[in-house]
Amino acid sequence: MAENSGTDPAVETNTEENAAASATIIKVTVKTPKDKEEIAIAEDSSVSQFKEEISKRFKANQDQLVLIFAGKILKDGDTLGQHGIKDGLTVHLVIKTAQKTSGGGSSQTSASSGPGPSQGNTDGSANSSPAGNLGTPQGSGPSPTPTQPPNMLAGFGDLSGLANLGMGSANFMELQQQMQRQLMSNPEMLSQIMENPLVQSMMSNPDLMRQMIVANPQMQQLMERNPEISHMLNNPELMRQTMELARNPAMMQEMMRNQDRALSNLESIPGGYNALRRMYTDIQEPMFSAAREQFGNNPFSALGGNADNSGAQPSRTENREPLPNPWGPPDTAATTTSGTATTTSSTTSSTTPSVSNPLGISSSSLGNGMFNSPGMQSLMQQISENPQLMQNMLSAPYMRTMMQSLAQNPDIASQAPTPTPAPTPTPAAGTNTAQQQLMQQMLQMFAGGNASTPTPEVRFQQQLEQLSAMGFINREANLQALIATGGDINAAIERLLGSQPS
Amino acid sequence: MNQHDSTFGVQLFIYDLSRGMARQLSPIMLGKQLDGIWHTSIVVYGEEFFYGGAGISSCPPGGTMLGPPDTVVELGNTEVTEEIFMDYLSSLGETTYSGDKYRLFEHNCNTFTNEVAQFLTGNKIPSYITDLPSEVLSTPFGQVLRPILDSIHIAPPGGNVISSQNNHS
Repeated sequence: MAENSGTDPAVETNTEENAAASATIIKVTVKTPKDKEEIAIAEDSSVSQFKEEISKRFKANQDQLVLIFAGKILKDGDTLGQHGIKDGLTVHLVIKTAQKTSGGGSSQTSASSGPGPSQGNTDGSANSSPAGNLGTPQGSGPSPTPTQPPNMLAGFGDLSGLANLGMGSANFMELQQQMQRQLMSNPEMLSQIMENPLVQSMMSNPDLMRQMIVANPQMQQLMERNPEISHMLNNPELMRQTMELARNPAMMQEMMRNQDRALSNLESIPGGYNALRRMYTDIQEPMFSAAREQFGNNPFSALGGNADNSGAQPSRTENREPLPNPWGPPDTAATTTSGTATTTSSTTSSTTPSVSNPLGISSSSLGNGMFNSPGMQSLMQQISENPQLMQNMLSAPYMRTMMQSLAQNPDIASQAPTPTPAPTPTPAAGTNTAQQQLMQQMLQMFAGGNASTPTPEVRFQQQLEQLSAMGFINREANLQALIATGGDINAAIERLLGSQPS
Repeated sequence: MNQHDSTFGVQLFIYDLSRGMARQLSPIMLGKQLDGIWHTSIVVYGEEFFYGGAGISSCPPGGTMLGPPDTVVELGNTEVTEEIFMDYLSSLGETTYSGDKYRLFEHNCNTFTNEVAQFLTGNKIPSYITDLPSEVLSTPFGQVLRPILDSIHIAPPGGNVISSQNNHS
């Protein structure tokens, strides 16, 4: 058998491929980092023969070729069969650059490997290779010490990549504000949002709305200072009305106008102006300041408004100015007729406090900030196209509590996106604690469904006792009333009195 | 070419980026159980190598912000020396694994790890990791989230980027 299996390099490759009868030709894929080729070779070839083939195909010197298969480096003396290389398998190839690269890393002597670091034969001067390298002193220790400082900066720069994970900004508040601005400048988007059945259904659920509002710490503060507000909030009728208003921007505007007219009329009543003034300073001002602080922070801020139109009025004369442009950019508070009027919750109004919107919260604070990045915007689009999805998400029992927790702990929320490792001792110990807290809360939620809300009886223990001390002995009714008013004793009493004439 | 016949151990570090949340939330959000959002890296020659939005990076094992791994899998041994490996990584980093080629679903850290694992040992990484993107995408929620997720590049800080254009000009 003419078995010139090509050990003689002078022999043409064809001879190798048409190798002797006993050898079968197998097709082996040779894969480099840059590309791959299929090479047909005799099954019983030696590695060096294989390398010859490869060197032709890849236009590299045989010396530069390093073949790897199944974690082993194929040495020239071995045969393919020895390593179990069969038809259809893939062998990896690395083409070494034989000399130190010079110039801007363009030592493209080989087809595949570019300006890699020089072989380990040279000493650590490989690092200074202008082509740049891994920062690893070849041939010596493995740690990339020489180039570590600049690399570390790059490493920290990756934080931005990580931040993208957290929707583009580590600071929820900023996000909200930005989104708000965006929404304000694009009224169409706003009306789209409002018309979205999902949003509408969400708003028609006064309970949910109230919860969200109440969960906001600023709101809670306000409520403490002005019990009327909480009263207002706990009045489901009023809430429902407000939701209606919120849903319907046109109606909203109408309402606002009416309110403003009524208010200005009030002014002309003797003593009315003072009354209005008083009301403003008592109710509205703290709200304004609170609103200013957390401009755009509460997605659904509602305001306790007096249903009977006795709002406050700071201006000295009858106000002839046109009502503020709900879609326009925010301007200062002082110029507009303001009043407490109806509650608004994230509805169509400008940020200037106006009659119906004393907090000056625009509708765009609809959970604004989070949706700043284009990614989130497209998410919103998708979600609005598929409202069912959001509905499902939101109807999950834990969602509410999650939102509550998030609202209560904006810090945690803002830190939540960065997946800092909770248990490991990192320098940011504060972050860890917050992170842990959030995790615990979430875990609690999952574990117990709606676990963060104990039973109404337990919640309202105190109030129940108070009520019974006052003489409302019907515990059942008390409980119902308390549940309906969310724990507000005064409102509960009213309910009870309304239903029990005795 | 004088290469030692010594072999080097190769390990796979698996991290759950969701820190347990995926296990809890996935049945609800996606409708199927996903035990984690897996990020993997290869540990060999006493260093950890991984691919992210910044390209191929390296760091001491467990040295990224993610901390220690959730799972470690022994992939086997390799005869490939560090030097060859670095050559290989540089080439990869220039071509198929440069930072801008990162795609969260199709061409991510796990794609890289899989390829490197095969290069070093001939073994692939466990399939539940590489199957993750398709698992997610096969749910309606995954489809919805896709546009956003596509724009996310995961790059755990704490690593040094390996690239041949590395500030050494």
